[in-house]
Amino acid sequence: MKKYLLRRLLQLIPMLLFISIVSFALIRLAPGDPVMSFVTPNMSPDDIERIRASMGLDQPLYLQYAYWLQNVLTGNLGYSLINHRPVLDLIVERIPATLGLMGCSLVLSLIIGITLGLVAALNKNKPIDRVLSFLSYIGISLPGLWFAMILIYVFSIQLHWLPSLGMRTIGVNSVWDVILHGVMPCLVLSITSIAVFMRYIRSSTISQLEEDYVNIQYAYGSTSTVILFRHVLRNVLLPVITILGLSLPEIITGAFIVESIFSWPGMGSLGINAVFSLDYPMIMGITMMSSFLLIFGNLLADMMYGVVDPRIKSMR
Amino acid sequence: MLRKRGLRAAIVLLLVSLFAGACSSYPVVTTDKGGLSGEGGNLIIAIKDDPKTFNPIYAGDSMSLTINNALYAPLLSVNNGEKKFVLAESLTAAKDLKKFTLKLRAGLVWHDGQPLTADDVLFTFNSILDEKQHSYFRSSFVLDGKPIKVNKADERTIEFVLPQASAAFESALVQIVPIPKHIFEGEADLEKSDKNYSPVGSGPFKFKEYRAGEYVLVERADTYFSEKSKLDSITFRIAKENNSAVLALQNGELNMLRVEPQDYAKVKAAGHAKLMMFPSGGVTTMVFNMNIDRMKQKEVRQAIVHALDKQELIQAGFSSTEFAEPAASIFSPDTLYVKKELPTYPYDKDKSKALLKAAGAEGLKIRFAYFSASTPETNMALYLQQKLKEVGIQVELIPLDGAALGKKALNKDNTDYDMSFGGYSMGFEPDAYKVLYLSDAAYNYSHYKNEQFDQWWQQAAVETDANKRAQLYGQIQELSAREVTTYPIAYGKSIIAIDARFAGIEEAVAKPVVMFDDFAKLYKQK
Repeated sequence: MKKYLLRRLLQLIPMLLFISIVSFALIRLAPGDPVMSFVTPNMSPDDIERIRASMGLDQPLYLQYAYWLQNVLTGNLGYSLINHRPVLDLIVERIPATLGLMGCSLVLSLIIGITLGLVAALNKNKPIDRVLSFLSYIGISLPGLWFAMILIYVFSIQLHWLPSLGMRTIGVNSVWDVILHGVMPCLVLSITSIAVFMRYIRSSTISQLEEDYVNIQYAYGSTSTVILFRHVLRNVLLPVITILGLSLPEIITGAFIVESIFSWPGMGSLGINAVFSLDYPMIMGITMMSSFLLIFGNLLADMMYGVVDPRIKSMR
Repeated sequence: MLRKRGLRAAIVLLLVSLFAGACSSYPVVTTDKGGLSGEGGNLIIAIKDDPKTFNPIYAGDSMSLTINNALYAPLLSVNNGEKKFVLAESLTAAKDLKKFTLKLRAGLVWHDGQPLTADDVLFTFNSILDEKQHSYFRSSFVLDGKPIKVNKADERTIEFVLPQASAAFESALVQIVPIPKHIFEGEADLEKSDKNYSPVGSGPFKFKEYRAGEYVLVERADTYFSEKSKLDSITFRIAKENNSAVLALQNGELNMLRVEPQDYAKVKAAGHAKLMMFPSGGVTTMVFNMNIDRMKQKEVRQAIVHALDKQELIQAGFSSTEFAEPAASIFSPDTLYVKKELPTYPYDKDKSKALLKAAGAEGLKIRFAYFSASTPETNMALYLQQKLKEVGIQVELIPLDGAALGKKALNKDNTDYDMSFGGYSMGFEPDAYKVLYLSDAAYNYSHYKNEQFDQWWQQAAVETDANKRAQLYGQIQELSAREVTTYPIAYGKSIIAIDARFAGIEEAVAKPVVMFDDFAKLYKQK
């Protein structure tokens, strides 16, 4: 197991290196010039060139990449071209908000998705199953922005229950205040995954319940609850880990959009701005950070297989 | 059972810790006093994004400029053609316009109580002129390749010695707000200095707190030399998405917001806010690329504009003529010496066809480039394609992304398209426009070349007699309209929605880019 973990961790290095090369090339292939975002028509060409040089953009591309890589290896992600602050500081400032949102969304999706999926499976073809299935179709096809607007309209404008903007009330420093601000963004970010998880759990529970081992358990006199939670659920949860790993990119990109809608001060809004203003070091920083989260998340998912299913552990 | 309970507890703990983690590890800059509703109230203004900097010598984005307008006082300012002395009490120009003397008011102080003197102004200008500091304003103080000289005459007096006469020097000075020498002296790189994030200003509001991605809080500065602010504080709150910002305005989470034309009706119908509209200072134009032979023919250009109905074109681009005024001059309406009476080209299909025939350009084909992400440009381009078809001109539309379009436009030998849209906001000084219209100017997107035209621009820049200047700028606008060097389409308007509970809007005076000239005059009604 340790060997396997070490091997996987070592694989991270070439993978991240490859991602960095591809992203660096892609970003620089895009037309545009970050210097243009603060050039005014009054600026002389000399002054513009001086600014370009101060950002290191006058160097050949391969050298720029080499400098970037050298800095990254010493823990320096460079300076944001637009915000004039170290990229790492900006990311570190924002990442807790994004991780908080993503974490809550994952937990919420799992709890609600699994519960509803089990309820639907146990009531197969009964009215409650049909209602839940219908709702899950809506959940999968709901456009995030529209759903967010409806939530804001109902819970902020009409009911005045929840704030619609940012992560906290100005001048208030409490966890409860942050939770209130987080409810709607978390819900919008989770709605699709809840529906996906629910549908998956439903169908896989139904097929597991038809397996021989379930009948045998019944024959031995086990109760439905014991069969469901001790035997069926284990088998059902195994593929959920795969879906969880696969849904990570969706949650990361989803967070980018949700953060914009609710002005949630996370990494997503930072990333979107960086892309629009061609803030190269910032884009690279965020791409690398997101890639790392993604790869690490998948690694974690792979590790969890072993925990949930001992058969897999013994195969490695 | 125990295991189940443990699982439940773990989940609850995880949820709480995730939120708490998000909360507690966030950098808290200062503590809060809890509530903010005092005598004059707190005004929450929506900004699209984090300010890029709090240091005014690097501020170029609307967020930084708006916040700095509350934190810092300028030397002098011009709005709607009216000059107002702020930190300066006078500015005297020598007859030859080569020397300007600026006198500061007595008893000025920074927000930390230190005196604001000629040393600070001198330090500011030296920092701007220092090539190593990369200030975006340096070029405004380098004339004909030579930097101006700034000297301190006494504690309150500064002299600016120019390498050549400049009638536009005042307009360059208007952009500058002094930064404190006692804070920044000795900093190797002002642009990246940590001190930029705890700004010490001289304006009606002092810095209180900045939470990245969330808000900037400023509160009344009792050290301000002029009338103290009626508001207790202003929060510049980051609200990225238009639709949710409009809803937050209804909800009272925001009190002031820039409104896009498409949201105007929605905000008006909600009825929570007063809406005000004022000229944005911007001019939207249509550009003929005269690197293309056909476009060099005046008759062709005139034929094209005769085939367009300007009102309809504005309707297409700005969703209503309410949000933009038809433009006649290449200068915005608040520019000095702007001319109202100029040759116009009313919609006339027959005349257009006749002009095309006279120029031998029947069956003309035009490649029209526009910024594809801009709905106004897309709509105007589609209108134009349909209208020009009526006079027998075939238009091929070339949608481009902003960066690609910008790159092509800046290429002096650009022949990739025949026409495009343009736009600019240059301020009140007509000399600023010459970077768009001189034959060899980098931003002369139409590549129109005319020696006489160039001469007038250069003469007007150094002309000491105001009447003669007015005459020269009159000739420039006249010639541009007659020759259709550029086709001015519209003067855009800015729309601001402000919570109906706030007053003092007239006194605060609306201003392009920074919303209000003087935030200190706004207050919350009892």
